[in-house]
Amino acid sequence: MTAKITIRGLGHEFVNPFTRERVLALDGVDLEVKEGEFLTVVGPSGCGKTTLLNIVAGLLPKTRGTVLLDGHEVTEPGPDRGVVFQEFAIMPWRTVEKNIAHGLEIQSVPKEERADIVRRFVDLVGLRGFERKYPHELSGGMKQRVAVARTLAANPQVMLMDEPFAAVDSQTRITLQEELNVIAQATRKTILFVTHNVEEAVFLGDRCCVFSGRPGRVKALVPVDIPRERRRWNLLMSDPTFDLAKEKVFGLVREEVGKEI
Amino acid sequence: MGRYWEIASTWTVILAASIAVWSLAAATLPVPDYFLPPPAAVLSAFVELTAKGMLPMFIGESLRRIVLAALLGLFVGVPIGLALGISHRTAQFAYPVLNFFQSVSGIAWLPLMLIWFGFGERTILIAVNYTVLFPVIFNALLGIRSVPPIYVNALRTLGASRWRIVRDVLVPGALPNIAMGIRLGLAYGWRALIAAEMLVGANGLGFMIFNSQAFHLTARIMLGMGIIGALWVALDYFLLRPIEEATIDRWGMVQR
Repeated sequence: MTAKITIRGLGHEFVNPFTRERVLALDGVDLEVKEGEFLTVVGPSGCGKTTLLNIVAGLLPKTRGTVLLDGHEVTEPGPDRGVVFQEFAIMPWRTVEKNIAHGLEIQSVPKEERADIVRRFVDLVGLRGFERKYPHELSGGMKQRVAVARTLAANPQVMLMDEPFAAVDSQTRITLQEELNVIAQATRKTILFVTHNVEEAVFLGDRCCVFSGRPGRVKALVPVDIPRERRRWNLLMSDPTFDLAKEKVFGLVREEVGKEI
Repeated sequence: MGRYWEIASTWTVILAASIAVWSLAAATLPVPDYFLPPPAAVLSAFVELTAKGMLPMFIGESLRRIVLAALLGLFVGVPIGLALGISHRTAQFAYPVLNFFQSVSGIAWLPLMLIWFGFGERTILIAVNYTVLFPVIFNALLGIRSVPPIYVNALRTLGASRWRIVRDVLVPGALPNIAMGIRLGLAYGWRALIAAEMLVGANGLGFMIFNSQAFHLTARIMLGMGIIGALWVALDYFLLRPIEEATIDRWGMVQR
């Protein structure tokens, strides 16, 4: 498999606006996300994993190194990299279907075609019957389904997800994780998914990238060799492969958290 | 239905009781009639001035002035505020300037305006439009600046152009503040209008209540005051509220 996203020697520095100190958030990050791969990045809070995602998205500048998508340098945001944010970043003044259609409107997709695509993704994320609702009428989980559908409908090359399920309750989170797994299997999208939740990272990732504490670096890559169709919480509860991977990742993350205390 | 009647009957009782207390006070207190005329006198002033056509004319004049200012606020003030807010740099510069001029009300400008624009309609219009304009501009700018950056970022990652971000994110996101600016601007403007009409008007509700004072026509003063308040309540209820309900309320962007 070829690399879809290539990150080499990536460093990011910023100036703390209050203390005026220079902070090194990322230092020498080397990482490859393969075509069609679901790669999860997990690490202690403040390790720069969200910074990494924002740089790949083109929302933050890099201080050093390169980020390539299909061999082309990434410098600014673009529709080839869809992003799902932790906060529900859908427009409150647009209905569910209008939100999902937003990327397509920007791409000037004709109206009839747009409606077809929207319908398909409304179904994919299970929001039929809610097309005309406004975001404030939806639960947190439903809002995030809208955000995922909006990103997928725009048909990006890769999907970048920044702790997308951190702000929903644990029951909903489990459902959303299983749904995302099904979507990943169905669409074969390349996904870079950032989380601080070890179980989530192992449940979703083909590989799980563990980040060191600040400055963020790739500490280890842990492959999770479980086929997509087996990835359901009731099946994995007593799965030795899952448990082993989880313990390994947990141990690695623990070392990093321990350092800071 | 039940709730509506409950509210309506409560208000009827409060209103009736107030009028009764007022009538009683006017009849029993040892003060001359012009000091505290009874409600009946205010009502007959209303009938008389309406029959003569004075009252409709004064109301019409005052409304004409405030509507003109409202239109200016909407079609000039809002675009200026939005334009200033879009760029971080101009917003930073404009903020203190607008804040300053917003606080120096149209009334405070009146002495200077009388010297510059004369004792008449021109000064009234300039003072009122000024008073309406600044809160509208200021709040539109504030609205743009308070749109969560996450919405802008979300649209950038969908490949949106700068113009589309303005149209699809910044302007709708600024609407709660724009609505508040228009409401505030008109409320301030309505007060300024009455004051300006009192000082330089030859007609309008402000002129009516001030002019009545010279002749001790107290019932007319009270009538004018009542109409000034009632017109604002009506404007708010029938025009401003429905606009907000159809937009920012529908989108869940206001906490009530």
